[in-house]
Amino acid sequence: MRARHLDVSHEVSHKVIRAAVALLVTACAPLAAPLAAPLAAQTPPAAPDPASVERGHATFTSACGFCHGSNAKGGEKGPDLLRSVLVLHDEGGESIGPVILHGRPDKGMPAFPFSAQQIKDIANWLHSSIAATKDRDSYKILNIVTGDPKAGEAYFNGAGHCTSCHSVTGDLKGIAAKYDAVTLQGKMLRPDFSWKEGNPPHQVIALSFTVTLPSGQSFTGEPMNLDDFNVALRDANGAYHSFARTKDGPRVEVNNRLQAHLDLLTRLSDADIHNLTAYLVTLK
Amino acid sequence: MFGQLLDPALLTKPPVDAWPTYQGDYSGRRFSTLAQINQSNVKHLTLAWIERIHVGIGQGAIVGGEGPVPEGPPTDPGVSTIKSTPLMVNGVLYFSTPDNAWAVDARSGREIWHYTWKTRGGIHIGNRGMGMYGNWLYFETPDNYLVSLDAQTGKERWHTEIADVKQEYFSTPAPIVVGNHILVGTGGDSLDVPGFLEAHDPETGKIQWKWWSEPLKKGDPGFESWPDEYSMRHGGGMTWLPGTYDPDLHLYYLGTGNPNPVLTGKSRKGDNLYTCSIVALNVDTGKLVWYFQPSPHDTHDWDAAQTPILIDADIDGHPRKLLAQANRNGYFFLLDRTNGKSVVTAPMIKTMNWSKGISPSGQPIPDPAKEATIDGVLVSPATGGATNWPPPSYDPQTGLFYVGTVQEFSMFYLTDTDPHPEGWGAAERGVGDFGGDLEAIDIKTGKIAWDHHYPFGGGPVGMLTTAGRLLFTGDGARHLVAFDPANGDILWHAGLADDLSNGPITYMLDGQQYLVVGAGDSLYSFTLEP
Repeated sequence: MRARHLDVSHEVSHKVIRAAVALLVTACAPLAAPLAAPLAAQTPPAAPDPASVERGHATFTSACGFCHGSNAKGGEKGPDLLRSVLVLHDEGGESIGPVILHGRPDKGMPAFPFSAQQIKDIANWLHSSIAATKDRDSYKILNIVTGDPKAGEAYFNGAGHCTSCHSVTGDLKGIAAKYDAVTLQGKMLRPDFSWKEGNPPHQVIALSFTVTLPSGQSFTGEPMNLDDFNVALRDANGAYHSFARTKDGPRVEVNNRLQAHLDLLTRLSDADIHNLTAYLVTLK
Repeated sequence: MFGQLLDPALLTKPPVDAWPTYQGDYSGRRFSTLAQINQSNVKHLTLAWIERIHVGIGQGAIVGGEGPVPEGPPTDPGVSTIKSTPLMVNGVLYFSTPDNAWAVDARSGREIWHYTWKTRGGIHIGNRGMGMYGNWLYFETPDNYLVSLDAQTGKERWHTEIADVKQEYFSTPAPIVVGNHILVGTGGDSLDVPGFLEAHDPETGKIQWKWWSEPLKKGDPGFESWPDEYSMRHGGGMTWLPGTYDPDLHLYYLGTGNPNPVLTGKSRKGDNLYTCSIVALNVDTGKLVWYFQPSPHDTHDWDAAQTPILIDADIDGHPRKLLAQANRNGYFFLLDRTNGKSVVTAPMIKTMNWSKGISPSGQPIPDPAKEATIDGVLVSPATGGATNWPPPSYDPQTGLFYVGTVQEFSMFYLTDTDPHPEGWGAAERGVGDFGGDLEAIDIKTGKIAWDHHYPFGGGPVGMLTTAGRLLFTGDGARHLVAFDPANGDILWHAGLADDLSNGPITYMLDGQQYLVVGAGDSLYSFTLEP
């Protein structure tokens, strides 16, 4: 999930994410989505002026790209500048500048008589390229509509059993006019979580609990907690009910109205996903 | 050394009246021979004290560090979460969070001293704890300094830089002390840098040896598993969790992290040694003695950094020196720790879909069709793995290995179509999970002896087993729980203010057995009612 990896690390854990969901989804069930919610991002350094970055990119491409590659990842002669220690330690061109102005004659790099502003622009572009490389949450998903819409339609009407809940002339009518392909695919794979690109993720309540006491009295409502020792829910009137769990009960039933989507994850092939996506985008 | 706090001989024995190193002892089992707290009386466990930490400058903190004075208190939640396993030596607990270290009276929970580090940056996600040598403590900072403190006073002795924060290295491990070597690793995979492990001199901090996780040039060991020097220089293989040590074999066992770029392998065809590997290093020289690679050519961020637990047990009637690891990639591995040969490889989770099977050498065979594509592939586990850093445990009384797992799916989309991608190269979107499990794995077969399923919680979490026939762990729902390690029955629980966030420890003090756990910003100490 985009959110998971703001926590830039090796150790992203299930529980961290669950806790984040609990914080994020203040109005509703704390446990409906153990996955996927935005954690606080590392404070990014002040973003450079986009016009300067743009100018720097143009200058770099024409003057430096031949040796360092147009993306600065290195070329036939020049080293990768996105992982250059000198560039990484540079601030505002103060280390890069002297190299540009004097060149590196011993390594075959000529001097470039750039102005202070041009140097600053190049530095800004390099630093923004580095930031884009290391910030995996900024990576843009490319074209995911590669499947066969006919095969997707067949899966939708057949093996996927999608028509047992959905209809392309009913609830899904015009859905592709509302959402882009990435969002549509996300809604299909993870419908308990609305994550339109660029917007904060939004929890969809899919779960309900029914707790039945030994007396036969039962309570149904939105989940508030379920662990080995306690179950709690909020009923349709907004009343909170909490019960201790013991060997003798109460009986707890968990109903996930989106269970079929979760179960699909163990059955879908990648081709099925691509084909379904190609079909869904036709539902304008 | 005269009058030293920590007798080095303690490190080679099961912990009893101390917890002198990250894992309790060198084996990594996190099994205590203590049985004062046992199945018959665990219901009488009671709270001894709670200590809540206060991070950053102020309230008498000793201040060190190379960075500027911060404008306010730290706000990153990682700084206020106790992921470190405390040390307990001579009645004092020593523990840390990113940029912060404490000594606390183990009898009362009261702070003795607090040291805080002015940071130059780096990712502040966690700190596993400290190492101890005589009277000296060692810990690592997110901006990659190894800092040594005087255990009595918390005053800094020295600090030394081990990696460059500007290259996106950040350091979380607890240093491990073996003989006169302070073993120090690092982390960071945002910008394609090579990993390494270093040994430092305990008195001066000077470097004794450095082992790189991959070849740096053609001809170096493992170079044939990379296409060229360009790709091997992008490295990976971070050494971000403490390892284990066999004093008889003189080998230090360590799991390494993923290769770079992280989620796409097109510029690094081959197995990419020694990333995602379990390696055995000669502890005096840092030379590689053997390796086993649980994830050849990883493209899903499945570090093999998880604790390699050292186990002595009979296999087919013969005593063997073994090593077990529950791996992030979803498999359990049992190796012969004298040579790295596979004994058992077995799946831990049902949803796993990235492997085409197991090779004759015991390695999973990656399915290339499950490497990120532009239009996306569905993979389980997610990048976070079937399990992760929280320490597992092995109980020699049951022969079972205890680990918290999770069954998650993610989509992996290739986003960097350059022939030489950098960084992660692909985007991940989590699409669902089937809950967490506490698994008890029979080491000899890899089969799951019992399993406790959590529909909404569980997952990777720290474990401790004891001779009192108890397994202590967390449930992801703020409870500290004692299980019967033989069958998974719940014997006791206590509700805390947060989820268990570290590995539980236990020790004897004044004739009483204590259990100490970290949950969020607090340490909790439990003992039996008198």
